[in-house]
Amino acid sequence: MLQPLISVGIELILWLAIFNATDSLTIGGFDRNMYLAYVVWAPFLGRVGISWMYESMMVEEVASGNINIVLTRPISFYEYYLSQLMGYKFTTTIVSIIIPLIITQIYQLPINYSRLPLAFSLVICYLFLIHNLSFIVSTLAFFMTKVKSFTLVKNLSLWLLAGELVPIDLMPAVLAKILLILPFSSGVYIPVAYMTGRCQIDLIYQGFISVFVSFILSSILCRLLWSKGLREYTGTGA
Amino acid sequence: MSFADTIKKYYILYKSFFRASFVADLEFRFNFFILICAEFIWYSTQLILYEVLYRHTSRLAGWNLDQMRVFIFLALFVDSIYMILWDPNFVKFADDLRKGNLDLLLTKPVNEIFMLTSQKISISHVPCFFITGGGLVWALSQLPDFNWFKMLWLIIMIPSGLSVIFCGRFALNATTILFQRADFLQYVWFSLFRFGLRPDGIYGAVMNGFFRYIMIFILPFAMVASIPARFLLEPLNPLYLIWGILMPMILLTLTQKYWNYCVRNYSSASS
Repeated sequence: MLQPLISVGIELILWLAIFNATDSLTIGGFDRNMYLAYVVWAPFLGRVGISWMYESMMVEEVASGNINIVLTRPISFYEYYLSQLMGYKFTTTIVSIIIPLIITQIYQLPINYSRLPLAFSLVICYLFLIHNLSFIVSTLAFFMTKVKSFTLVKNLSLWLLAGELVPIDLMPAVLAKILLILPFSSGVYIPVAYMTGRCQIDLIYQGFISVFVSFILSSILCRLLWSKGLREYTGTGA
Repeated sequence: MSFADTIKKYYILYKSFFRASFVADLEFRFNFFILICAEFIWYSTQLILYEVLYRHTSRLAGWNLDQMRVFIFLALFVDSIYMILWDPNFVKFADDLRKGNLDLLLTKPVNEIFMLTSQKISISHVPCFFITGGGLVWALSQLPDFNWFKMLWLIIMIPSGLSVIFCGRFALNATTILFQRADFLQYVWFSLFRFGLRPDGIYGAVMNGFFRYIMIFILPFAMVASIPARFLLEPLNPLYLIWGILMPMILLTLTQKYWNYCVRNYSSASS
């Protein structure tokens, strides 16, 4: 509980300082409270839409050969970890949503609660894509000895591309357009922008389409890498 | 053993650690390359944040974009030194403890803090050291009439800033001895360290400026890069200079005392 509170606190201070420093009441067309709402909700959704722990476990299973056990189960490696990830995300989200809700109430931040269900639906769809990416990274362990660095690169890139660091609409127009077309903005920027009123429902629909297309493409890659990986793999042990 | 012999002994030890780390890191070359990419992405994100913010404001925390670039490159430069020298050791500290490796280190005729914090050197961060150092020089060259002799202040202020990171991280890791399992402290550290990656001027908006003094004198994360950047960008403030010299001594003494306390409460993890 302490870590998200500190992170949110620092970002709140930064944005308060930015608004103190500027003569204008708005930045990029949005007022102070809208940014504060973004700063409170973006790290929360950022943590929901990322997989460090389960990806590390998946990589470890493949690299260490423990995958033998999973292969004999009546559930696939993909489904086994997907169910674990979803269960974990569901419980942690239920608990940790209290923090942004309380801060939103205290500071009377502009959150449109009727938009929460659709925004969270997009994040749930995005989680399937994230699981696919984790699966792809873990299959690389069939071919390489060390792949943990891929997790680091991928998650850092997602952090930037999702708009958790800075709202995408503040970036240069061309870059913002590209980032919005990519599916990763559906993890943080689009749902938070929709909840805070920075964007309308058309962007949410665009997010669903983008995530769906990426999910299909990544699923094909998952299947290819998994089949090729299993052909390369030699299970050892009792 | 004379002081010179002691220095020589530690130098030889450190050279061996460096050689071993170099070989270990380059053993998996592709992984090494990806790690370098990861560091570049991380450092880029910090730069991008401010570049984007300054598209919408001309001053932040009292600094314009050119001044802020000096601060952020300095912060990243200090961070890269810390990452090269100590970070891998702090990351595996809790594991060492659980596996009972600390027992072995405590019996060696070498300072255990040195052994715990210096065995692994992160070679993958060396390129970042040069890039951020180059970035700092470039950022300073953008300042009109910059007096390059001011760079000499960094000889005092960078070690001072590093002492904050070293002592803070080490103290949190040492706490693992008391709690047996304290992975959460790693996350607390990452959150706290973000205070050091922001200019101290922004804390002036909190608690009527009192919070900024907390960040300088009590939880001195502002001493990592923000105050050192002021030495380059602003006229000298003697108070900060005195504190920059005194603080590392205080922190290292307190850290040593805390470590001794933790070791007194240590119950071996090995059989």
